[in-house]
Amino acid sequence: MKSVVTTVVAAADQGARFPSSSDLESVQGSLQRAAARMEAADKLASNYDAVANEAINAIYSKYPNGQGRDMDAGTQKDKCKRDIVHFLRLINYSLVVGGTGPVDEWGINGAREVYKALGIGTDTFVCGLSFLRTRGCADRDMSAQALVEYNALLDYVINAMS
Amino acid sequence: MLDAFSKAVTAADAGGKFVGGSDLDGLKAFVADGNKRLDAVNAIASNASCIVTDSVAGIVCESPGLTAPGGGVYTNRKMAACLRDGEIILRYITYAVLTGDASVLTDRCLNGLKETYSALGVPTGNTVRAVAIMKACAVAHVNDTNTEAQAGSKFRQMGAIKGDCAALTAEVAGYFDAVGAAIG
Repeated sequence: MKSVVTTVVAAADQGARFPSSSDLESVQGSLQRAAARMEAADKLASNYDAVANEAINAIYSKYPNGQGRDMDAGTQKDKCKRDIVHFLRLINYSLVVGGTGPVDEWGINGAREVYKALGIGTDTFVCGLSFLRTRGCADRDMSAQALVEYNALLDYVINAMS
Repeated sequence: MLDAFSKAVTAADAGGKFVGGSDLDGLKAFVADGNKRLDAVNAIASNASCIVTDSVAGIVCESPGLTAPGGGVYTNRKMAACLRDGEIILRYITYAVLTGDASVLTDRCLNGLKETYSALGVPTGNTVRAVAIMKACAVAHVNDTNTEAQAGSKFRQMGAIKGDCAALTAEVAGYFDAVGAAIG
């Protein structure tokens, strides 16, 4: 899975060479930022339910009837929250590995096609995730650097779904 | 290919769980000891040629039949292939040390290696012994415990700051053991 370390190793293997000093430097760079990523991952893991609820509220205030197949309103909202939690979990994973591998492979890849088939506009996700993007507050929720890492991944998903 | 981080993520995904709290402790230790790991990779990579040639020279000294007609490394062609394979195995071990996970070693190097060697008639016992010598050599370089008595005129040390590298040494040794187990 794509992370800073595996990308470096894959490139070294392609050239059949031992890890060079520049390879080690780039891994070192990733490790230096790791503390902030771990903090963000930890905070998200312990608060994801509340975070997802805020996103759902933002989505349903803009789209009061929701989107998608005909179903019970409560069920629809539950499924919407389930999907937001899914993306938050993949963002948590991407924070841990230090690369977009998990969110690419298990979230974004095929998402447009799936939501199009279900009749759900990706703008609903963009609405919810954009709310979270501006909602995070340094020091209150997590340290400033951790928030930068978290917001970068939200931006990544927002761009992919826009 | 996985690394220590993606391995934790893959395990969490199987249960649909977030990675948080105590799950992160091992990874934080990995990050905290990151420089040790990079020094270890550098120690092995910088001495790769020495480690490989010593191990092949070692098995030849211990089993003189290897270079006799009909032996495992008789003819320069087979000797060159042996040195090349030693370097490839050592290279994948450095990748495993760098990623902190054996998957790159098992998937890209060990998978099918035993079958390939048996089809080519490579003597398994000598190969396992060569890997064991590489292990001793690499561990010595990682800990900077190699001596002038062992290395003679080629003696040199990395000179990195000494610290507690017990866990890392065990991990490095484990990758060599995995190679030995896979081809033995």
